[in-house]
Amino acid sequence: MNCLVCYMTLGYPNADTFEEFIEKSQKFGCDILEVGIPTNNAKYDGPVIKSSYKKVIKINLEEELEKLSFLIKKPTLALTYLEDHINNLEEFLKMLKKNNFSGILMPDLIIDYIDDYKKFHEFVKRNELNDVMFVSPTVPDKILQEVSNYSDIFLYYGIRPTTGIPIPISPDVLVKRVRPLVNNKLIVGFGLSNEDIKSVIKAGADGIAIGTAFIKKIDSEGLESSLNLVKELRGILDEAK
Amino acid sequence: MENSGGNCAPMVGNEELVPEFWYNIIPDLPVPLSPPRDPPDGDFSRIDLLNEILPREILRQQFTVERYLKIPEELREKYILIGRPTPLIRAIGLEKALNTPAKIYFKYEGYTPTGSHKINTALAQSYFALNEGVDHVVTETGAGQWGTAVSFAASLFDMKSTIFMVKVSYEQKPMRKILMNLYGGNVYPSPSNLTEYGLNILKEKPDHPGSLGIAMSEAIEYALKNKLRYLVGSVLDVAILHQSIIGLETMKQLEMIGENADILIGCVGGGSNFGGFSYPFIGNKIGEEYIAVGSEEIPKFSKGEYKYDFADSAGLLPLVKMITLGHNYVPPPIYSGGLRYHGVAPTLSILIKQGIVKWKEYNEKEIFEAAKLFMRTQGIVPAPESSHAIRAVIEKALELKKNNEKKTIVFNLSGHGLLDLTNYDSMSRRVVS
Ligand SMILES: Cc1ncc(COP(=O)(O)O)c(C=O)c1O
Repeated sequence: MNCLVCYMTLGYPNADTFEEFIEKSQKFGCDILEVGIPTNNAKYDGPVIKSSYKKVIKINLEEELEKLSFLIKKPTLALTYLEDHINNLEEFLKMLKKNNFSGILMPDLIIDYIDDYKKFHEFVKRNELNDVMFVSPTVPDKILQEVSNYSDIFLYYGIRPTTGIPIPISPDVLVKRVRPLVNNKLIVGFGLSNEDIKSVIKAGADGIAIGTAFIKKIDSEGLESSLNLVKELRGILDEAK
Repeated sequence: MENSGGNCAPMVGNEELVPEFWYNIIPDLPVPLSPPRDPPDGDFSRIDLLNEILPREILRQQFTVERYLKIPEELREKYILIGRPTPLIRAIGLEKALNTPAKIYFKYEGYTPTGSHKINTALAQSYFALNEGVDHVVTETGAGQWGTAVSFAASLFDMKSTIFMVKVSYEQKPMRKILMNLYGGNVYPSPSNLTEYGLNILKEKPDHPGSLGIAMSEAIEYALKNKLRYLVGSVLDVAILHQSIIGLETMKQLEMIGENADILIGCVGGGSNFGGFSYPFIGNKIGEEYIAVGSEEIPKFSKGEYKYDFADSAGLLPLVKMITLGHNYVPPPIYSGGLRYHGVAPTLSILIKQGIVKWKEYNEKEIFEAAKLFMRTQGIVPAPESSHAIRAVIEKALELKKNNEKKTIVFNLSGHGLLDLTNYDSMSRRVVS
């Protein structure tokens, strides 16, 4: 079955809406949740996610994570930059563990900490969390292959240079290049249109990750529409292949 | 097809040597290339701006990383039209003068009509702009090599071109401007009154000499306002991708004469001729030493920092991670306009940081001596940019002589310098040898 990974920024746009999104998206076909930890330094995120972080930057992280912990039914990953926790990683990992998270995804691990990524990986594992790795098309083949073996649950492949900007790319070409190198589940994300989704699944991806689209829906049409999008995506994935 | 080259170097080549695919080194780099970024406190998205000004296919190529990318047949025909494959020539005269056991070959990009490698990407970018129905391209130029290439490329595809040329160069180098006009380009001294940006500067300072950053800002504003396409001369991965045609041809030419390249050398402004020439070798692990050469007056290799910085001096393009002197760095007005750039293309920065590519920097006197020796032994007037590579070749050949090593040096002669004679003239007056 094709996997649907749903992203939402922690506490966005407010506590109630966020919680409802988390609860219902899991019912409507989301397989894995990805929760963005607000930061002022969203170095690889696009304008939409960046501004979502800005809006909730003042929330109490511990409280929000605890409230969230009661709603988690599906495997849940924290999306956060290693740079933000470089001095207190253990503390942060313990907080995630305590609050029912099953893992962490750090988009800057492979790009900015390539020489030390195995060390960090060990560290995450020692704290009994899964370490899901993030790669982009600019990761060389040799490293992609190696990283995919280390990545837990799946390998996250972000195919645009940033989220939320409609850069014209050929998703199928990008997936076909890495598919033979990846001995793991391959989840593709970053600005996917419905067309893109069909083509990446056809090219061999095992699932998709969607985030910006949910935030845009919440902003423009409200929660209900964003939940409808979860259903719609579930439908597309079930039909594909 | 008979073997038209055989062993009768110095010149080999025929149309079949023009590659059918470009080569992209990114999948073969030793470490991941960092993605382009928007500045954290930016008032608009530079990545989104690329979306609005570059030909869509160019953006697609920039971000759809594939090791080999097919060159459309129509475009390949244009490469043949401009004289590709460019010759690979054995520098027998230089070898003799140096009395070195090393063999020296050079790939001569000055053989193209506009006189430098710049035409290789100008043609590709114009072609893809036309393919999406845009018949007018815009860019900026400093010394004029890039503007010349764009003017001719556009005309070859029956398109219009508008070139914003830094005002001092426009006034001091009328030959380049004349050439661009003859090719059909519309050339305006920048700051100009065609854009808001230019008008504002002129209001403050009517005799402003201009800068590359200003010219670029004008070109981008003009392209946006008139829904035209903006072309990029170097630095971006996609420009280096197109330039890979240089190295791919060289590889085949060497193969035809049964020669192995041991040492590859090229000069670096943004990195497009060096990358285009050397990456097919580096990626395929051919050769043992690669040397990138810059100017001591713009000491980016020796003094630059590896960090995120704007790809352009105007700060309109995204941040890229590279070796840089800072985008606010104002390069001195040196004799070698094409090297007046603050950074080093991100892929080349990685290869240098990883120790795979070495670097050298030379001053005006050193490269002037090298240029003269090359002119007197090979007859070709090298572009001052390319003379930096020649200087490194000479040093290497002499080093090999000392150790009596019979290695093969191959370098990229990125352009000729026939339109830079006044430059050389002023050098000869400055440099007392
Ligand atoms: C003849 C010549 N060589 C080299 C360069 C340097 O640019 P790049 O490093 O992109 O090849 C230029 C740039 O204008 C040039 O005109």
